Amino acid sequence: MSMLSYERKYRVRGGTLLGGDLFDFWVGPFYVGFFGVTTIFFSVLGTAMLVYGAAIGPTWNLWQINIAPPDISYGLALAPLKEGGIWQIVTVCAIGAFVSWALREVEICRKLGMGYHVPIAFSAAIFAYISLVVIRPVLMGAWGHAFPYGILSHLDWVSNVGYQYLHFHYNPAHMLAVTFFFTTTFALALHGGAVLSVLNPGEGKPIGTAEHINSFFRDTQGYSIGELGIHRLGLYLAIAAGFFSAVCIIISGPFWTRGWPEWWNWWLELPVWS
Amino acid sequence: MIKIVAWFIGLFALVLTGFMLFTAGWERPPIETQQSGYRGTGMAEIINPRVDPQRLEAQLAQVPELSPLTPDPGVPRAGDVYQNVQVLGDLSVARFTRLMQAITEWIYPEEGCAACHQLNNLADDSMYQKVVSRRMIQMTQAINSEWTSHVGATGVTCFTCHRGESVPQYTWFNADPATVAADGMVGWRNGQNRAAEFAGLSSLPEEPFSRLLEDAGQIRVEGRTALPIDGDGPSIQSTEWTYSLMMHMSTSLDVNCTYCHNSRNFGSWESSNPQRVNAWHGIQMAQSLNTEYVAPLSPVLPPHRLGATGEGQKINCATCHQGVAKPLGGLAMAEDYPSLWGDAAPQDVAGVDDDVDADADALASAEEPVDLEGSGAGGL
Amino acid sequence: MVENTNLFTRAQVHGPADYGVPLPEGSHARTGTPYKSYLLGKLGDAQIGPIYLGGYGIASLICGFIAFEIIGLNMWASVGWDPIEFVRQLPWLALEPPSPEYGLSLPPLNEGGWWLLAGFFLTAALILWWMRMYTRARALGLGTHIAWAFASAIWLYLVLGFIRPIAMGSWSEAVPFGIFPHLDWTAAFSIRYGNLFYNPFHMLSIAFLYGSVLLFAMHGGTVMATSRFGAEREIEQAFDRGTAFERGALFWRWTMGFCANAESIHRWAWWFAVLTPLTGGLGILLTGTVVENWYLWGMKHGLVPPYPETGVVDPAAALQGGGQ
Repeated sequence: MSMLSYERKYRVRGGTLLGGDLFDFWVGPFYVGFFGVTTIFFSVLGTAMLVYGAAIGPTWNLWQINIAPPDISYGLALAPLKEGGIWQIVTVCAIGAFVSWALREVEICRKLGMGYHVPIAFSAAIFAYISLVVIRPVLMGAWGHAFPYGILSHLDWVSNVGYQYLHFHYNPAHMLAVTFFFTTTFALALHGGAVLSVLNPGEGKPIGTAEHINSFFRDTQGYSIGELGIHRLGLYLAIAAGFFSAVCIIISGPFWTRGWPEWWNWWLELPVWS
Repeated sequence: MIKIVAWFIGLFALVLTGFMLFTAGWERPPIETQQSGYRGTGMAEIINPRVDPQRLEAQLAQVPELSPLTPDPGVPRAGDVYQNVQVLGDLSVARFTRLMQAITEWIYPEEGCAACHQLNNLADDSMYQKVVSRRMIQMTQAINSEWTSHVGATGVTCFTCHRGESVPQYTWFNADPATVAADGMVGWRNGQNRAAEFAGLSSLPEEPFSRLLEDAGQIRVEGRTALPIDGDGPSIQSTEWTYSLMMHMSTSLDVNCTYCHNSRNFGSWESSNPQRVNAWHGIQMAQSLNTEYVAPLSPVLPPHRLGATGEGQKINCATCHQGVAKPLGGLAMAEDYPSLWGDAAPQDVAGVDDDVDADADALASAEEPVDLEGSGAGGL
Repeated sequence: MVENTNLFTRAQVHGPADYGVPLPEGSHARTGTPYKSYLLGKLGDAQIGPIYLGGYGIASLICGFIAFEIIGLNMWASVGWDPIEFVRQLPWLALEPPSPEYGLSLPPLNEGGWWLLAGFFLTAALILWWMRMYTRARALGLGTHIAWAFASAIWLYLVLGFIRPIAMGSWSEAVPFGIFPHLDWTAAFSIRYGNLFYNPFHMLSIAFLYGSVLLFAMHGGTVMATSRFGAEREIEQAFDRGTAFERGALFWRWTMGFCANAESIHRWAWWFAVLTPLTGGLGILLTGTVVENWYLWGMKHGLVPPYPETGVVDPAAALQGGGQ
């Protein structure tokens, strides 16, 4: 039993969503549960399909392996295994594994008497993934619009899909998403730095308190959000980053087919100017 | 006080969001797409079936009904009967008159002959319109005979650009020097940083044409070697000129960058689509036509036809394409006018399809898929 | 469960304002009378102010204001001082760096000179602000972690506007000051140097950027989810782990077999956030100086996925090659 010194008293029965006591156990440090089993099923099958796809592909070079979705001509139908079918199975497995993982987190939350903040935040990331491989392809009528599974090939996809709209940086939701990504990272630096600076004031100096952090931020910028608030803010910023990423890709194609710079015409034609 | 400000900001944001949601011209599914590269590369044309085909249909609806091509009687020749027929003198009078009528319909349907000719002396060259027309006929002949690399067997007529207007709707003037000049102490903007019509409303340079579609400036800006070479490569500035030109090409043809390029490496031809070769010839053609035919006409134009630099309007991709990948959907209007083909005039063109069929052909060919889908194995 | 989600502060207690921990001898006094904002109180602390001005702070604000004015007035001048057009075109407006022909020399004011001046004052403002972050931390007896994280962001800024242009021998390589124009620059930069996605440091930077957001979602989520056990009292729990951090730690241990503690999670956070601009700056600095075309560089190093070739050849080369 690999347990931390304080772990035993927290390892209690119950809190499961499905399967009752059947899967209510740990393997090493990992909690299993019904959704642990489904996670393993989906991730093993999905990984095996990726390996199979690589094996029948032209290369084992990790950077170049490319498991691509079907041609657009297949629409929303199933494609032959070697012409995008592998991608379709992997996608089902990936969604199955991600959702299982989130539900397993819910079960762990219930065991530990915690709120569901982490699985909810993770759902924002899953939503962004599903937007890319399901929602947008369905709205555009073909799985072929989803991104391929490959380290560099997915970047090629990002590049080309960006240039489908001539200049993707002008996508307003992309602007928001990037801003939230940068802001979250900025806030993370401030929060991480603040806690570390209180805990590590330097050799021979006394440790500060949360009030030192408040004073530091009030001194330097006039406002400190506080030790609870910073975690709220960080969580919201991070979720917003994921959410607007999903929005920015869903609107590209289904709700806007032209160049993104052109979208800004509404601003140039606001009635206030005339 | 702060609450009032907060309410005001909130209200302002709400109103702006409203405009953003309801006046930005959002589109909706279903949309149509056309794959233009290997699967999963994200190369595809995105088409709004409620907007894009209608544009072409509206343009085809403007094509005037003209008299069909009849067997050429040969004589008498226009040059023998009329005076001062410098370009079309070899035509029979019948063909010559037919072409003049067509030109009138294509360019001056309202004004008629008097738009170019002194009615009491048709041979008189005193109206600048007539001088320009003559040069434009020569240009049309040159396009159809020397630039088949771009216009193919379809060819062009006056209508391809003019569409019933004396001046084609889509042209460009050399940028006002004031937009590039560094006069005064502040405010230099180097011809960019303004919502630029030609560059698809981005803030890219507003007029890339004088450099790239008249002068043969450097369009290929991407680094050509993995590692740096000695000497200065193209600047970011010239990259933005190229980008601006490419925005213009895309919006003129209503296609996106992946119509021609795999954007993972814009410069590489091996990964580009065949359309890029056609586009390349188009750029060469526009440069050549602007320098040889269009720009030299500036001196004969009246002041109200001149731009800020004292030069007339010039052509770019939109002049012919007008938002359609193949102008008029590839409608072969020039077929009926052998005289517009210059040296490459088809010899026997007596039997020609009637116009109804040609319209249908044009629509069909506009929807022809780009045949690159799933071409071969190699990677999944 | 809704009772415990703690999404917003439900009951705000507004006591007397907190004036902050005492400052050492010789410090200025803090400025401003604190006041409470109900809306801010929903999210975090309600108190705004006081602030410590200090020499570095004031100098930084002045420099920042000068830079802001240079940029803004140039933008306004570029629309012929038309106030309506200024607002209308604002996202498109910019203060441009000098043209390539000036290289690294000093251009006339209105041909990039203003850009250099704005860059100078903005850099001064950032460095003075950095000194403020450093000295304020020291004055409160804290470590200087925030200042060094800030230095990483300044590094990226300096690479973009100063170090790389000097390495390239031309100010024209630098970024314009403007909203849409800096996006144009970004796209043009990637096109000119052969696709920044193939730049490994760009890859790393994005990985750290996404990783930072992931970490903050994980950390913020964990703390909020255990806030009813007092998880936000991180300083205390770094020394005396309470049930909040035990539960938070076990959540991750049971989920992914590994967990951090109240202090180490902030080390992860700091490093991810710091490495984002650090690696990004490296990637920018190498572009054009050491690598001319990232795609071709990737080709050289076996990064490029193979797709079927289209068989298209360069028509210019075909013409020169005598119709091969």
